[in-house]
Amino acid sequence: MIYKMTDKDMEILFERISKDFQSFGSKEENGDIVFGDIQRFSDISEEKSSYPPKDFLIERSENILSIPRAEKRAVFGVKSCDLRGFYIMDKQILGKDPFYTVKRENTMFINFVCEKMCSGGFCTSFGGPVLDEYDVQVLHKNGYFYVEASDKYEKYLFGFSESDDQNVFEEHKKEFESLYGRLNVDGIENRMKWSSNLWNKFANYCISCGACNYSCPTCYCVDVYDDDDGRKKEWDSCILEGFTRTAAGNVRPELSERLRQRFYHKFKYYKLSRGAYLCTGCNRCVDDCPVDIDIKEVITHDYDRE
Amino acid sequence: METADTYTIVLTERNMGYAGQFYMVSKEGIGEAPISVGSGYGNPLMFSIKAVGSVTKGIMNDPYGEIGIRGPYGNVWPWKSYEHVVAIAGGIGIPPIKALIEDMQGHTSLDKLTVLYGARSPSDIVYRSEIETWKEEMDFRITVDKGDENWRGHVGVVTTLVPEIKEYNHGAAFVIGPPVMMKFSVKSLLDAGFAEDNIYLSLERRMECGIGVCGHCNIGRWYACEDGPIFKYSDTKEEPELFL
Ligand SMILES: Cc1cc2nc3c(=O)[nH]c(=O)nc-3n(C[C@H](O)[C@H](O)[C@H](O)COP(=O)(O)OP(=O)(O)OC[C@H]3O[C@@H](n4cnc5c(N)ncnc54)[C@H](O)[C@@H]3O)c2cc1C
Ligand code: SF4
Ligand code: SF4
Ligand code: FES
Repeated sequence: MIYKMTDKDMEILFERISKDFQSFGSKEENGDIVFGDIQRFSDISEEKSSYPPKDFLIERSENILSIPRAEKRAVFGVKSCDLRGFYIMDKQILGKDPFYTVKRENTMFINFVCEKMCSGGFCTSFGGPVLDEYDVQVLHKNGYFYVEASDKYEKYLFGFSESDDQNVFEEHKKEFESLYGRLNVDGIENRMKWSSNLWNKFANYCISCGACNYSCPTCYCVDVYDDDDGRKKEWDSCILEGFTRTAAGNVRPELSERLRQRFYHKFKYYKLSRGAYLCTGCNRCVDDCPVDIDIKEVITHDYDRE
Repeated sequence: METADTYTIVLTERNMGYAGQFYMVSKEGIGEAPISVGSGYGNPLMFSIKAVGSVTKGIMNDPYGEIGIRGPYGNVWPWKSYEHVVAIAGGIGIPPIKALIEDMQGHTSLDKLTVLYGARSPSDIVYRSEIETWKEEMDFRITVDKGDENWRGHVGVVTTLVPEIKEYNHGAAFVIGPPVMMKFSVKSLLDAGFAEDNIYLSLERRMECGIGVCGHCNIGRWYACEDGPIFKYSDTKEEPELFL
């Protein structure tokens, strides 16, 4: 059921949810859009946050000798591309990583469907920005908020007025696709070439900073290590040389091999093992790359002509 | 100590894993490392470890100190599906083969098993006393890359023993050891007439979680910790990153 709500309705919804959950939201702080505490719905910024909300579920660094804590949190203003990252990661780590799992199950996400495509974004290529899976999904259009919820959270919407138009999300999706198009991602797992020049070309610029992994809402790899105050798991990057180093040798000593691995994992291996591409088209890795390496080129490159 | 750099630890806990599986063994403040079970299911848990880095040396240097273990993880040698098994172990690849011998013992005749074990030199051989017993119970062959004045046995890399066991090529081959040794073992097994889908490899990859969440052990569409560490050669042969 889709509800059509006013600013005032949204404040009431916010209150209802905040009774059961500790509420967070994206908001402006010194020119950045960051996630933090919010007191009312109108505090929320509808701009894309500077970083994805990944650390609500996978902290940058976390002590894993402690017991995972179940805190009920609601996160408002997550963009669809960032939320979709969690649904994709779920396929690999939900139920296995106890820290991720407890947080995932106790966190409610209220995602905002973009009204316009963000600069560089290509979420339409991966089925965005209207999602099929969500907790509470919001579209702000023509002065109203259109809201739908999953069965689990539908109860928060009881009593609000139902929208006459039950196709707003569908129509918005079609409109988005016709306005912004889609990249041809279908079958990319079969088109990419192991020996392509692209990997060497990227390796000529890449400075191995790892920003592409850290900014990505679908990158879940972590380093597990001990230090003076316990055992930690911490965001890791497959672009770094030590990622696969072992006593017996290193499978990917060359930067070009590690770059290829990143794209093969996203567009081939994960598709084969989990049935999904490990990318939501958010363009964060492009925005944050200091040398302008663009993942869209991996999708559009003509491998046959090499 | 088994050799100058390899030692065995036996714990009071029983091994709840089967041959081929591994545990994450840790020393608090230093870290964790994946280590294969070296004993059969239900026996006291045993690991044989080569000291190569911080964790493996840390445990060696504090033999009575506390260690942490979690597991067992990973898959097992599929010996039950075959009439005969040839196991080829190089270097520190031998503990999972010891576990295999112990798992098979009591369930089936050890006539079904042939072991080829290659060590770098006579002083690198582990499980010396067990080997004396195994030689009487089964077809256990041993070779060293380089002999010394007292060595009367076979000299040459372990793959040089493969042509001798051609008669078993209808069965399975289990291979574990350093990457180059595995690569050449596969080649000589194929030459000896073993079928690609009867050859199993235990792959060493960097492992940090052991449960499919840290991403370090990725190989093609698999994670070595949860889909392996044992892979059928026929499934993985197209993977360019199969051997290091
Ligand atoms: C499934 C499996 C079973 C194994 N079984 C045995 C066994 O029975 N006996 C045995 O002696 N060894 C075994 N190993 C190898 C053993 O895990 C490594 O030697 C050990 O992790 C090195 O750890 P370290 O802290 O001592 O070395 P480090 O100080 O970490 O470094 C030494 C080298 O090992 C690399 N390394 C670091 N962490 C890992 C890791 N988690 N996995 C692999 N390499 C790493 C480093 O990059 C470095 O090149 C096994 C490995 C795997 C994957
Ligand atoms: S566009 Fe880049 S950052 Fe965004 S999901 Fe895809 S790979 Fe990750
Ligand atoms: S962000 Fe760019 S420079 Fe940094 S590791 Fe990724 S591709 Fe390389
Ligand atoms: S060891 Fe972490 S995913 Fe395999």
